[in-house]
Amino acid sequence: MPSMNESNQTESHEGRMWWRSIEEASTGKSLQPTNDEFPEGANHLAATGEDRRHFLKIMGASMALAGLGVAGCRRWPKEHIVPYAHRPEGTMPGIPEHFASCFDFDGFSQGVLVTSNDGRPTKIEGNPEHPDSLGATDAFTQAAILDLYDPDRSKKVTYGGEDSSLIAFKEWVSAYLPKKGKGIAVLAEPSSSPTYHRMRRAFMQKHSEAMWVEYSPLANRNQAEGLRHAFGGDWIPVHDFSKATMIVSLDADFLGAGPMQVANTRGWAEGRKVSHGKMSRLWMVESGMSVTGSKADERLAMHPAEILAILQDEDINAAVDSTLTAEQLKWAEQLKADFNAAGKHALVIVGESQPPIVHYIAARLNELVGAVGTTVTYRHVESGSTDTIEDAVSAMKNGTVQGAIIIGGNPAFNTPGTLDLATQLEALPLSIHLSYYNNETSQACKWHVNKSHWLESWSDGRSADGTICIGQPLIEPLFNGLSEAEFIAILAGESTTDSHTLVRITFNPKADQWNPEWRTAVHDGVVGNTSSLEAPPVNRNKMSMSDSETLPDKGMTAVFVPSPSVWDGRFANNGWMQELPDTITKLTWDNAALLSPMTAESLGVAQGDMLSITVGSNTIEIAALPVPGIANDCFILPLGYGRTFAGRVCSGAGVNVYPLRTATNVWSAPAQVTVTGASYELATTQMHFGVNTTPGKGAQERIPLLYREGTLDQYNADHGFAQHVGHVPHSLSIYEEQQFEGAQYKWGMSIDLSTCTGCNACVAACHAENNIPIVGKDQVLVGREMHWLRIDRYFTFGQDSHGDYDVEQLAGVAIQPVTCHHCENAPCEEVCPVAATVHDTDGLNVMVYNRCVGTRYCSNNCPFKVRRFNYFDYFRRDPLRSTGMLQVQPDYYVKAQSGGKTLRAMQFNPDVTVRMRGVMEKCTYCTQRIQRVKIATKNAWVKRSDAQKAADPRVSIQDGAIVTACEQACPAGAIVFGDLLDKESRVSKLHDEKRSYEMLEELNIKSRTKYLARVTNPVDGAVSTEGGHH
Amino acid sequence: MTTVPVNELGDTNVNTGEDPQQRAQLVLNHEDFGSVTNEILSVNESPKPPKSWYLSLAISFSMMSMLGVLIGYLVFTGVGVWGNNNPVAWGYPIVNFVFWVGIGHAGTLISAILFLFRQKWRTAINRFAEAMTIFAVICAGIFPGIHIGRTWLAYWLFPIPNQMDMWPQFRSPLLWDVFAVGTYFTVSLLFWYLGMVPDLATMRDRTKTKVKAIAYGIFSLGWRGSMRHWHRYERAYLLLAALATPLVLSVHSVVSFDFAVSQLPGWHTTIFPPYFVAGAIFSGFAMVMTLAIPARELWGLKNFITMRHLENMCKVILLTGSMVGYAYSMEFFIAWYSGEIYESFTFINRAFGPYGWAYWIMVSCNVITPQIFWFKKARNSIAIMFIASLLVNVGMWFERFVIVVTSLANDFLPSSWGIYEPTWVDVLTFLGSFGLFMTFFLLFIRYLPVLAIAEIKAIMPKADPHGHGHSYYEMEGETAASAEAAKEDE
Repeated sequence: MPSMNESNQTESHEGRMWWRSIEEASTGKSLQPTNDEFPEGANHLAATGEDRRHFLKIMGASMALAGLGVAGCRRWPKEHIVPYAHRPEGTMPGIPEHFASCFDFDGFSQGVLVTSNDGRPTKIEGNPEHPDSLGATDAFTQAAILDLYDPDRSKKVTYGGEDSSLIAFKEWVSAYLPKKGKGIAVLAEPSSSPTYHRMRRAFMQKHSEAMWVEYSPLANRNQAEGLRHAFGGDWIPVHDFSKATMIVSLDADFLGAGPMQVANTRGWAEGRKVSHGKMSRLWMVESGMSVTGSKADERLAMHPAEILAILQDEDINAAVDSTLTAEQLKWAEQLKADFNAAGKHALVIVGESQPPIVHYIAARLNELVGAVGTTVTYRHVESGSTDTIEDAVSAMKNGTVQGAIIIGGNPAFNTPGTLDLATQLEALPLSIHLSYYNNETSQACKWHVNKSHWLESWSDGRSADGTICIGQPLIEPLFNGLSEAEFIAILAGESTTDSHTLVRITFNPKADQWNPEWRTAVHDGVVGNTSSLEAPPVNRNKMSMSDSETLPDKGMTAVFVPSPSVWDGRFANNGWMQELPDTITKLTWDNAALLSPMTAESLGVAQGDMLSITVGSNTIEIAALPVPGIANDCFILPLGYGRTFAGRVCSGAGVNVYPLRTATNVWSAPAQVTVTGASYELATTQMHFGVNTTPGKGAQERIPLLYREGTLDQYNADHGFAQHVGHVPHSLSIYEEQQFEGAQYKWGMSIDLSTCTGCNACVAACHAENNIPIVGKDQVLVGREMHWLRIDRYFTFGQDSHGDYDVEQLAGVAIQPVTCHHCENAPCEEVCPVAATVHDTDGLNVMVYNRCVGTRYCSNNCPFKVRRFNYFDYFRRDPLRSTGMLQVQPDYYVKAQSGGKTLRAMQFNPDVTVRMRGVMEKCTYCTQRIQRVKIATKNAWVKRSDAQKAADPRVSIQDGAIVTACEQACPAGAIVFGDLLDKESRVSKLHDEKRSYEMLEELNIKSRTKYLARVTNPVDGAVSTEGGHH
Repeated sequence: MTTVPVNELGDTNVNTGEDPQQRAQLVLNHEDFGSVTNEILSVNESPKPPKSWYLSLAISFSMMSMLGVLIGYLVFTGVGVWGNNNPVAWGYPIVNFVFWVGIGHAGTLISAILFLFRQKWRTAINRFAEAMTIFAVICAGIFPGIHIGRTWLAYWLFPIPNQMDMWPQFRSPLLWDVFAVGTYFTVSLLFWYLGMVPDLATMRDRTKTKVKAIAYGIFSLGWRGSMRHWHRYERAYLLLAALATPLVLSVHSVVSFDFAVSQLPGWHTTIFPPYFVAGAIFSGFAMVMTLAIPARELWGLKNFITMRHLENMCKVILLTGSMVGYAYSMEFFIAWYSGEIYESFTFINRAFGPYGWAYWIMVSCNVITPQIFWFKKARNSIAIMFIASLLVNVGMWFERFVIVVTSLANDFLPSSWGIYEPTWVDVLTFLGSFGLFMTFFLLFIRYLPVLAIAEIKAIMPKADPHGHGHSYYEMEGETAASAEAAKEDE
């Protein structure tokens, strides 16, 4: 490792500009007139003309990108037998660089900052400049890096299943694409990209008779329709939860997975901070059990058809054939009173499942209470859709459409079963699919064109508030794919088809690549002052119940929800996402029909029993998974599973529930449910014990000790309420306790249970940062998942007079991230016979992999069970299929390569060892990140004057300079890491907070991780519905 | 020639009567030393062993080979072929380890403690109990070695100089295990071998084949039976017995530290060392009985391993079984008395949780079954005691299973709770260890003196020159050597 000098350590934690754009690097002209941006040596190089020339020579490839619009370069791992004679300026082997970029996720641009190690993008973080991200990410964004290196991604252009080429495709387009686009339907995913829309307009101008259909299975069509009635035109609401003191969610899982999850979570978490004895209150009505529901202060589980009755609106109530029970009515009255009291700080948010009229009424209510402009604003969005997918399919059926051009997406898989799009596509004489995978839709199409990953091409987009984002590539397309904009440009017959030029021209047609505004935009990833939020007045015309979304009657109902693991199916081939345990169900590798314990009892099914669910004429068979808190008779069916293309991760995982959807029953449908009698193994990472069994009762008894929470009233009465839950006897260690005298640093972590929503971003970030393997369903089934950081989930229940717990009385959902607590009296350390786990001088409990022989005693003695053992060489195993006798069947990671190179291995973080079988591993507090900053700080310290040294004998590290991967990803800011010796550090202050408690403190282990007890805000604070009465 | 003393039942094959006037005979139907030698060595000297020996050896050897194949499979594939998981990181391998170490416990107890306490009846069973100990400890030693993740680095647990310039971590009970089991094995082996030297010399002198003569000749260390030899031998034997005595207590105490030193509810218990020692003696005696009963039938050793021996063993089993039962109830009491919710939950969960079946197998086999030995009829019934000894072996295996698995499966955080299920590899490896054990044992029976010939002679009335039915053991200054010498004189 080269040493780092002062400028570099400044770079790593002071400046906002600690990443740089490729543009900047390629010219050597820094936009920021500071030397701090470049690593050591860069400054020296820049100082002399000769080195400058070297730099220009060696960066030839990067220079080429400036002219040719190809950024970065594709670097397969190389073995160098000689070192660089002349190191290219701006690159320091082993020192990662950071670049801003963005990608579009269901019509919202996600701002990211990508880490590149020697030319390989390895890790994605949030872009602090991006208004929706502010530096955080969701789990999907974290996992997107793995998609880049997916060995199953499509690598070539094919025609009719045979290999073809891009050149052949282009020739075909210019020769055979019908003039004026007659008989052509274009199916595209919604996009926020201005370049995409520019290209769409260019295409439609040339092919004016073509049909342009935007389709996404999870598009919020009800909201669009409701707001169209309210405002006219296409609008989306943009919420600011931080300003809301009361939030009413009607089946809107706004904290759950989705393009706005990060921004919503951040805003909501802001409002949950107790200030002046107050915090926001979340009211939730839902049919399922969502992440949002688990964090609600007041929650009601209702059948989807009943939810709208909660809105005390005569229009709706006249339309709804439902009567609320006295209890529900009281609840609704309380809600109404609270809503009116909150005034402009109230907020009604409606989920995609609710019919347009509810969205319209919510808009009206928000306006009425004065919330528009405070908690909610609106943005006008550009939509290209001329028709709906149903129109396109009927046109295909009646022969007016003869050709389909499908841009991204996977409509053959994810359109409602009643449309039977795949059959229609196969019958068309002309069909083209641009796709990242050779998926179900590609297989139904003649042409398949491989799409580039967003890390391989230039892009742009708009964040929720309309801010324009510019996305730059970090690597040359590995398999020469096309971006969406490039693809449309080719179809439109544009003269310029490279993404770099396309995006730049959209930005400013007159700008060349040296244009300072352009370069700033690329560098920052966002263009300042481009948001376009408005507060349009709501149209008062009455709206009637629309027939575009039919609500089923009460009774057995199938409810379709996006999967927090695979979304609409697009992340299905991503092993990290497949193995990410669902926050509520803890299910991996599958979807299941989630139902309430009561419904399960009435059907006589338990976890894993197969159900046959029929909607209309379509039937699926899917395993049942009872989850407390779900409305009775509802069968929650996560979409996106059951992929049938030959992806080696997704095949065999879960059941496709899209066939049950119909054009009008997109989100819920009346269903017939029968028990088939078969059973299926569901791999959950938390065991299911009946609540009234011995272990179930034992768990209920101890949850209040482990997961401490109280109501706002309790907190206001006694800030230290969490301290009085358990009794901690004074205990002495039999061994002399480590005092860490003379330690320079004392690392610690604080996790706020109040704001943590269990979104899983931290788990995915940990996966990406620490080279954690996925183990596959068979290994999860035997309890061998490798997550260093896990999210524990407990349901607490009310007790009846006999002391039995009642599953119908869900008292609360506890969500608690658990990782290594870095105990000072670590129980794991004293039992290891080979001293493979020891404390370092800063008090970190470190794992020495190459000393570990794998007795697993440390894991037994770990009270948190956070240690993970490599039972196999997980990076050499096939993650999903049964691997046979020898269990080492090659090979997802190593042998499935392209051109004889390891594709998967390119993602590995070079700072973290890839562990072999037989060794124990666990959370390190991201020791590699600590070391990087420590080394830089110490090197800088050495160069200081003696007086300065004397003033800072400890070589203190600035608070916030070291950010663990989980902390960085966390959109709620619930995780804080820092130095406990620095009394001014955030973590010190949080540890000193009265709400702070140590889990299992009675074991005298002296954890370095402490939790902040959760504070809830139920209406009746003294008697919490969220378990405050423990 | 005196007449064979008969007991009150008048049957020369029954010596289980309790007559304070007359000591019960421990060797039946034998008058002179020569016939004892002949009868015992007939096991080795008969031209062909019984067919059942061949059959047993074939089965055992196959099972042992299977063990070898499975270990190879394990090493090449990874310890994931076992059912261990998170949280149950220790499963069958450690259960089997503790089980086998426990079995290996009876040998030293019989040879050392009973020797020091002058329990004459030990002489009939000590040799093969010691052999059993050696083989059981070998079986036990295999498991920790192969259960670790990187088997090829198992030697890192030993304090040997290495390139890392590191000692092992001396606070770890696993390291103490290495020392305890290593010491125990070494001393047991020496003790067993030393005790065998005079008998090996006898076999050397009687064998008719050259190969055997050389082999026995080498291992009998030039024994000639001189007075000086006997003197040195007796001293060494006594010293080794004294050395081995603390080991009887230490080895299983240290094994129990593997659990007691951790902080896991259900493991972290001060009662563990005595409880484990009692349990080990319990299981060891049960195993001796399981082996002795068929052996005395097959090889005609009923005159040496008499009903009285078996009855004594039944009594030991009854005593230690009750101690184990007391420990079980004490664990429950303390769990409740501590007022600690994790501790009390662990024990309630053991009995009534998902592994309740294992717990009740353990209780019924270990606590209830031995109670039958309060009845003399049961103590004198071969069938009952054989079944009981088998049940005790099963129960003691389950005891270790209950301790290891149930404590780990449901520890502090309910989120981590899991269920442990063994794989076919687990089960077959365990069976394979029985193959290894039985192979060694069958070879031992055929090729080594199965009973301590020299010592048995010393407890015959004839060995007592005064003829009052007192053996030399009770006489100060006298040694077995003089008894043997007396034999030589005649």
